Amino acid sequence: MSTTKTHESAPFAAYRSAPGHYDECFAADGKPRKAFVPLVTHINGMGRESLETLVTEGAALARESGITYNALEDEGELTRPWELAFTPLAIPVEDWRHLEAGLRQRTRLLEAVLDDLLGPQRLLRERIFPPELILRNPEFLRPYHGLPRVGGARLHVVATDLARAPDGHWRVIGDRTRAPSGLGYLVENRIITSRAYPDLIHRSNVYRIASFFMRLRQMFETLSPRASANPRVAILTPGQKSYRYFEDTFLARYLGYTLVQGRDLAVRGGVLNLKTLGGLVPVDVLWRHISDDQCDPLELKPDAIEGVTGLVQAARSGNVSIANGLGSKLAQSPALLPFFPAASRFLFGEELQLATVETHWCGQPDALRLVLEGLDRFVFRSAFAVRGDRLIRPTLMSAEARQEFIASLREQPYQFVAQELVDRSTTPVWRDGKMEPWFVALRSFQIQANGAVEVLPGGLVRVSPTTQGIENPHGSTQLGQDCWVMADEPVDQTSTLLPSPHVPLRFVRGGAELPSRVAENLFWLGRYSERAESIARVLRTTMVRLVGEQSVANLPEMPRLIAALAAIGQIEPDYAVKELRKALPSLDDALPESLYTIDQQRGLSPTVAALTDKAMAVRDRISLDAYRIVQQIGQELAAPVRIRGRADTRTAINRLTRLISGLLAFSGIGQESFTRTLGWRFLQLGRRIERAWQTAEVLRATLVETDERQVLEAVLEATDSIMTYRSRYLLRLEADATIDLLVTDETNPRSIRFQLERITEVLEPLPVEPDEVGVPYERRLAFDLLHRVRMAQPALLAKAESSGRRVAFDHLLEILTEGLPELSNAITARYLIHTLPSQALTGQL
Amino acid sequence: MPDSSRYRITHRTHYRYSEPVAICQNQVMMIPRELPRVRCQRTEVKISPTPGQSSAHVDYFGNPVQSFAIDMAHRELSVVVTSEVAVIATQFPPADQTAPWELVRDAVTSGSDPNWFAVEEFRYGSPLVTSGGAFADYASASFPDGVPILKAGFDLTRRIHKEFRYDVNATKVETTAEEALRLRAGVCQDFAHIQIACFRSLGLPARYVSGYLRTLPPPGKPRLVGADQSHAWVSLYAGQQLGWVDFDPTNACLVSTDHVPISVGRDYYDVAPMRGVVLGGGTPALTVSVDVVPVVESP
Repeated sequence: MSTTKTHESAPFAAYRSAPGHYDECFAADGKPRKAFVPLVTHINGMGRESLETLVTEGAALARESGITYNALEDEGELTRPWELAFTPLAIPVEDWRHLEAGLRQRTRLLEAVLDDLLGPQRLLRERIFPPELILRNPEFLRPYHGLPRVGGARLHVVATDLARAPDGHWRVIGDRTRAPSGLGYLVENRIITSRAYPDLIHRSNVYRIASFFMRLRQMFETLSPRASANPRVAILTPGQKSYRYFEDTFLARYLGYTLVQGRDLAVRGGVLNLKTLGGLVPVDVLWRHISDDQCDPLELKPDAIEGVTGLVQAARSGNVSIANGLGSKLAQSPALLPFFPAASRFLFGEELQLATVETHWCGQPDALRLVLEGLDRFVFRSAFAVRGDRLIRPTLMSAEARQEFIASLREQPYQFVAQELVDRSTTPVWRDGKMEPWFVALRSFQIQANGAVEVLPGGLVRVSPTTQGIENPHGSTQLGQDCWVMADEPVDQTSTLLPSPHVPLRFVRGGAELPSRVAENLFWLGRYSERAESIARVLRTTMVRLVGEQSVANLPEMPRLIAALAAIGQIEPDYAVKELRKALPSLDDALPESLYTIDQQRGLSPTVAALTDKAMAVRDRISLDAYRIVQQIGQELAAPVRIRGRADTRTAINRLTRLISGLLAFSGIGQESFTRTLGWRFLQLGRRIERAWQTAEVLRATLVETDERQVLEAVLEATDSIMTYRSRYLLRLEADATIDLLVTDETNPRSIRFQLERITEVLEPLPVEPDEVGVPYERRLAFDLLHRVRMAQPALLAKAESSGRRVAFDHLLEILTEGLPELSNAITARYLIHTLPSQALTGQL
Repeated sequence: MPDSSRYRITHRTHYRYSEPVAICQNQVMMIPRELPRVRCQRTEVKISPTPGQSSAHVDYFGNPVQSFAIDMAHRELSVVVTSEVAVIATQFPPADQTAPWELVRDAVTSGSDPNWFAVEEFRYGSPLVTSGGAFADYASASFPDGVPILKAGFDLTRRIHKEFRYDVNATKVETTAEEALRLRAGVCQDFAHIQIACFRSLGLPARYVSGYLRTLPPPGKPRLVGADQSHAWVSLYAGQQLGWVDFDPTNACLVSTDHVPISVGRDYYDVAPMRGVVLGGGTPALTVSVDVVPVVESP
């Protein structure tokens, strides 16, 4: 195949930059800028078809890696897959050096400003800042004033949002000083884009980002308040419902830190601790991603649930290092922006190198007048809060809304800042078979360590074809983009986060440092996955018979299977009662429909939803492969195509089969790729308890009444034991052999005894109170159940009374169906409920 | 009226819980701070059970704060703060001879008052006191153009006392000034919040004072133990000469040697005497008693 493509097939051939905007890729003379030459040459060389393939494959890769982001910060449900534009943004190193110097200065300034505001407040005394700007700013939380700095700084990780104006210069739009988000997405962008252009990225002298993350990790280690070779760093996340959650789990895994929520932590004796199954272990450094006003219910809002009681006092005493420092959110108030040039002159005697977009704080009468006169030139933001960051754009308002806005602006002018909208630069994006100019937003990242500022080479780039899309950081019409800073010479090749070879590695085994919350999630992950499999098997066994050649009425096993489905909570209990069933929809409709409904609380669909939820909660603990499987499992139960308004039985059977395969793959990963830590033990406990319980329920519904061979066959099929049975007894189906295989056989991984043997093994090494005497309650329960099953004789269990009922078997199953939930509760009580409810007494005086 | 009074103050806070408390973490703001007219001679904080850990710091507004944690199971918590303070009587010029209120406001706004930065903090809204048009409207009757600041301040104090109903059931500790204004009722905390909001709505600095009020027994009767009260009132910045002047809108009286301040802040939120978070505890039952006993100087 020839490498020369015709002109028409070159993807850049038809690209036209947008007039009035700086184009990142093409200069005014239509030639590609130097930094873009390797990319343009490469992509043109590929031709349209290869580029299309690359984009498709890359998008699949991005989807599979499970990256999501929340389109709207406040509405946690709206997670969408993160999408990427596969043409990176290339920035020449000369440009970058200039920007980098400006960002270093800006970061130093943000630090100095914050340190002054939380300390001597010279900026206010000298009226460099209007005092009102800070004193009526709701982000100025007084308890944080005067707290010690950590490692000589209050701001350890800072981000700055930038736009390139038509004159080619970058302008600052705003800063993020609390807990800047985007580092996780940025790494993903780089990983995926590198895979798309493996040779190009190596040939083109693109600065690596990994060294920045090594510095970040070094920084956290040096922040530790105690001299320790191996400080414990934890990332404090607001939790699963937060827009940050995906990124927090990613960073925890990427950097090797423990991911914690407020309720995993406790301040005891003035020291911050992680609550683990093995007891309390001290936390040295906390990378805080929760809001400033949420940090401590004792000193801030009494209803703050994301934080830890006593955290502020622990920070005040210097017993824990918190990054970014408490109170750092103040420095990102948009209302500060217009005053930074003066602050720089006052504090440093320097002019600001990096210009800010024209911004006015309306709390000043002159500024308000100017803004009201030229209203249409500006967009408006909340002066103090960044959260949500909804832009107010009078130009897009109805006449009425506009008047309302002007009235609120006049009434509380100090609540608003007005900012000029920059005509942002554009860069080529390949979309729908065309290369088009999209607007560019760049977020840079800086860290401060040992008095020096390090700027990440590149940044998080968002591109969007519309102004509306690009100005809203959580907008839906946008793509991520990798950012390549192009050096003139070969660059440092660090590309992984391997530890430095100079430091001898201390060998460790995963031990007791499992937060109780994580153990709880793993326990339920095990239970839900087993429950889903059990339901799916019984349901499939039943539905296969519905579409068989025999009439359902002639199948003796049908009523038993229906009773089993009712017993495990998949269908209404009324179906198990012959007289009541008539009033209900026919099984042909009800069974396929039951896959998708959420009516039955313990049914398949809610179980799978809970399974996905638990997997999400322990994302940082399970492998990417495992998570991907769970995602696929969840998709099998998405609403189906309906034929004549009915859910189709055959489709349902196929879906159940795929669902079962997925669940088997997931449990396989649990066995083969999960180290035997405490976490694994809880996953196992959940699985084994659930499987034993489900099996006992199914047997009780099907085999207590004496039976015909079809029933035995159906039960063996539903419990995945038919193969084993046939290999032993061929075609002779007998109740005692069936009961042996499913209850008392210690070699069948599906038998109840097998589950109980594993439960007692797994429980044995779990930590108990050091002064506890005797066998703990949950172990006694487990041993008792195991003992009864071991002692049971299948021949006696299979024997029916004259009534036709197997009374002894029923009795044993009754003990199991009651004892297993009790065992689950006992384990929960000891290990998983780790706190009493706490209450604030502040309001009661 | 004596020039100064000395008191021994005993502030007892007692929690009894229906369920055991595993851990409690608390902050106490009951240690009297030094103010121009207050000298604290001695303070002792007794906590039972004995805290496993405790520490002290001074907050943003200059108030002493004691933090402690108890991490052994307990069903009762008792905090007894005993202090000895001397309160100096304040002498004011006749109210109608004080400066017009606008002068005070303008000197602070322009920064020509050398104390402007120290009082600036108290001109803006705070967690429980959001100033708004309704307060400016209410205050305006007491603040015509050019009226002397103390005269206007006393007038406002009397009006609030007269026009608002004292009602312990009308409001809660987290009630805002705006709600209390709407209800036209409340307790000392709410009266103080309303008056603060009025002053601030005019651009005047005003702060919240928490403290104690000494009650005098009826003539011929002995003083009852625990009969005194925690109290709250208002402090208005009345210019460089007069400094902070206190008003008590609950009693419509001058604040003098019967009022003993402990802490000052923007509103109740900044100076709650005790904050706590407990693990467990079920339903807590709280009893508080205060004794303000005059100390007779030995001749």
